Amino acid sequence: MSKYLVKRIFYLVLTLFIVASVTFFMMKLMPGTPYTNQEKMSADQLRIMNEQYGLNKPLIQQYFIYLGGLLHGDFGTSFQFNNQPVLSLIMTRLGPSLQIGAQAMIVGSLLGILLGAVAAIRKNTWVDGVATFFSIVGISIPNFVLAVLLQFFLAFKLQLFPIALWDGWSSSVLPTLALAVAPLANTARFMRTEMVDVLNSDYIELAKAKGNSKWQTVAKHALRNSMIPVVTIIGPMAVNLMTGSLVVENIFSIPGIGEQFVKSIMTNDYPTIMGLTIFYSFLLTVIILVVDILYGIIDPRIRLSDSQGAH
Amino acid sequence: MKRGKSLVLGVTTVAVTLLLAACGNSGSKEAVKTDTASFATGDVIATMDSALNTDVIGAQALTDTMEGLYRYEGKEIKPAIATKVVKPTNNGLTYTFPLRKDAKWSNGQPVTAEDFVYAWRRVVDPKVGSQYAYIYEGIKNAADITTGKEPVNSLGVVAKDKHTLEVTLEKPIPYFSQLMTSSTFFPQYPEAVKKAGKSYGTNSKTLVFNGPYKLENWNGPDSSWKEVKNTNYWNAKAVKVKTLKYQVVKDPSTALNLFQSNKLDRTAISGDTAKQMKNDPHYSTLQKSATFYMQVNQEKNPIFKNAKIRRAISMTINRKELVAQVLGDGSSPIASVTPKNMSFDPTTKKDFVDDLDAAGKKNASYNPKEATKLWNEGLAETGQTGKTFNYTLLGDDTDTAKKQSEYLQNTLQKNLPGLKVTLANVPFKTRLTRSTNGDFDMVVSAWNADFPDPITFLDLFVTGGDNNGGHWSNAEYDAQIKASKGDNANDPKARWQNLVKAQDIMNTESGVIPLYQSGVAYLTNPSLKGLDYGPSGSYNNVSLYLKK
Repeated sequence: MSKYLVKRIFYLVLTLFIVASVTFFMMKLMPGTPYTNQEKMSADQLRIMNEQYGLNKPLIQQYFIYLGGLLHGDFGTSFQFNNQPVLSLIMTRLGPSLQIGAQAMIVGSLLGILLGAVAAIRKNTWVDGVATFFSIVGISIPNFVLAVLLQFFLAFKLQLFPIALWDGWSSSVLPTLALAVAPLANTARFMRTEMVDVLNSDYIELAKAKGNSKWQTVAKHALRNSMIPVVTIIGPMAVNLMTGSLVVENIFSIPGIGEQFVKSIMTNDYPTIMGLTIFYSFLLTVIILVVDILYGIIDPRIRLSDSQGAH
Repeated sequence: MKRGKSLVLGVTTVAVTLLLAACGNSGSKEAVKTDTASFATGDVIATMDSALNTDVIGAQALTDTMEGLYRYEGKEIKPAIATKVVKPTNNGLTYTFPLRKDAKWSNGQPVTAEDFVYAWRRVVDPKVGSQYAYIYEGIKNAADITTGKEPVNSLGVVAKDKHTLEVTLEKPIPYFSQLMTSSTFFPQYPEAVKKAGKSYGTNSKTLVFNGPYKLENWNGPDSSWKEVKNTNYWNAKAVKVKTLKYQVVKDPSTALNLFQSNKLDRTAISGDTAKQMKNDPHYSTLQKSATFYMQVNQEKNPIFKNAKIRRAISMTINRKELVAQVLGDGSSPIASVTPKNMSFDPTTKKDFVDDLDAAGKKNASYNPKEATKLWNEGLAETGQTGKTFNYTLLGDDTDTAKKQSEYLQNTLQKNLPGLKVTLANVPFKTRLTRSTNGDFDMVVSAWNADFPDPITFLDLFVTGGDNNGGHWSNAEYDAQIKASKGDNANDPKARWQNLVKAQDIMNTESGVIPLYQSGVAYLTNPSLKGLDYGPSGSYNNVSLYLKK
């Protein structure tokens, strides 16, 4: 297992390096300058600015200077937030985004598993119908529409939760709900389909024949075997949450990182774009690594170590 | 059924937790605080270093917490750290400012002339990297210092003594008093800057304040901040509202919800929310010193050299409809590239725009029949009758900008036979770069006043100007602008006439096609009074008060 981990971590670093390099060069191709007052400065003044910030050096040289900085943990300073180090910018804004993202993922997957399991067990009954209907609605409604509706009804009209801003745990409830519905619906559908299959298999019949109650069967056998596809979608789910959180953060005025990312691209804030891209890539590759390890835990047939060999 | 019971238990737990969270939220009726005003704002503060700030959010925070030589009260320039509004001597080349002896920083130290010298030198120092250094041009040696040709301490500003500041210019600057209200000319407390080094202005701990308020607990890209009355401010007794709170709210419907729940006393709204609230008693609009206009590229497409062609384009546009239906945000039609409510005749106090010639302004009124007529005449004059033209209209890629471009495309194609318009909507920075490089046929541009004087707009369009991407050129226009800076720089009346004539010339031949003056729609709590939005683009919050 540890050999496997080492190999994966090596690939992780390699992936990050490639992503950073590709992003760097693509970013430098963008027209425009990182200066917030670009349109008011003359060509001469822009030239002086470029000299100050080393932006007049050849591209390759800028690239190596940047890589060198990275090795020292220096992500540079932002252009839009003069003199703010990129790393501290990311760190201060990270908390809220991670929190609602993680909450949405947990709520979405746990409730989704539950919903899907119930639908599968009570297949073709009204329970199944309701659950399926809910899933379809959940996938179809965009999360920003849901966010606005939740804000209007639950926060503004019924005053159960804060309308917006980040002021304690209750501020995270509505954004989490808005973000959780799509993962919930997706998870439920996958879970239901897989579980229906699993419930029809021989070993389930055997378990019932051995005298296990229906729920015991589900808990001990069916659930675990149905989880594989669910675990598979955690990766893409995380990606969707990362990008989806931007709009939800905007609507609830949450000081998160999604909006930071878009703004830094729109303002050509090179160091911040690089910092955030590397960060998102890191997050995603770690999640994928965790998912792969989870596979091994859930299904012993997929244990990945050299001693097992290929199956 | 053990499992079933667990299921019910699980769902109940979740439900109870949510309800508890809801109860924990005291979001319902809070007592309306009479000593705090809450504002929504569009973005975070990028920096509190007055030398580096480039946006209005920062400018507002600086205007609240710092103070320069002068301050705007209503439309008047009033002395602030200076004891009076001075007239220049030495043919407009020397300004001697006497400073108040009772002005203090928030740490109790006196505000001295040296604080101004220190701050101004930082702005022109190439190592500091201010993007507004160009606004110092005209002050002795400023231009050479920014290009590294002269040392920073050769800047034409000296502390004659602790409370006398002397500024030397290379040429008269007629709008110098207006400049002295701008945050780029604010003083800085040298010890604070030296101590913080590169991180000066990135959090409130590095700052000392000499203005009506102090910024508290602010850290970089915080999405909310609090300003508390500065008891060391020389005019503290005039400051009525004890605390100002700002929250970043980007979504207009969220802003509306917050406003209607009494969480905000004032917020800007836009888009559909603004259109929806137009008849609400809390609704009002504000005109900004910014205009949107269309440029047509004469160098790339010679047909645009013909004035009748340009006037025709201008007359197809129903600005009232554009502003009401596409924008709906408080913007208003304008017939000149220079906006209203910014600059006033030194003798008659009339608005610059009202002083303009009516005939020239008519080129910006909606007259489709006349437009088609002029278009055809223009084509005949240039021998292009019957030809078709395929041009691209360049614009920004925001939702509003796209709708705006579509509107223009529609009306141009409808009324000008043979003209086909393709749309290109690109990110802001891309549009800027392409504009500067002349890489467009037609483009929708905008300009924000650097200081409240028409020259900040008119200077853009002299022959060869950096932002004159359409290459419009008129020798008489150039001559009027030149005279306003040279011969008449010390004669406000004559200078005013130069500027009015210049704008009239541009209007008469639609050198640049004005569209509208930028406006913002607001919802305001009726208890909030004394809102004072000045010509410099910031609010003077000393006059703010809350009616009980």
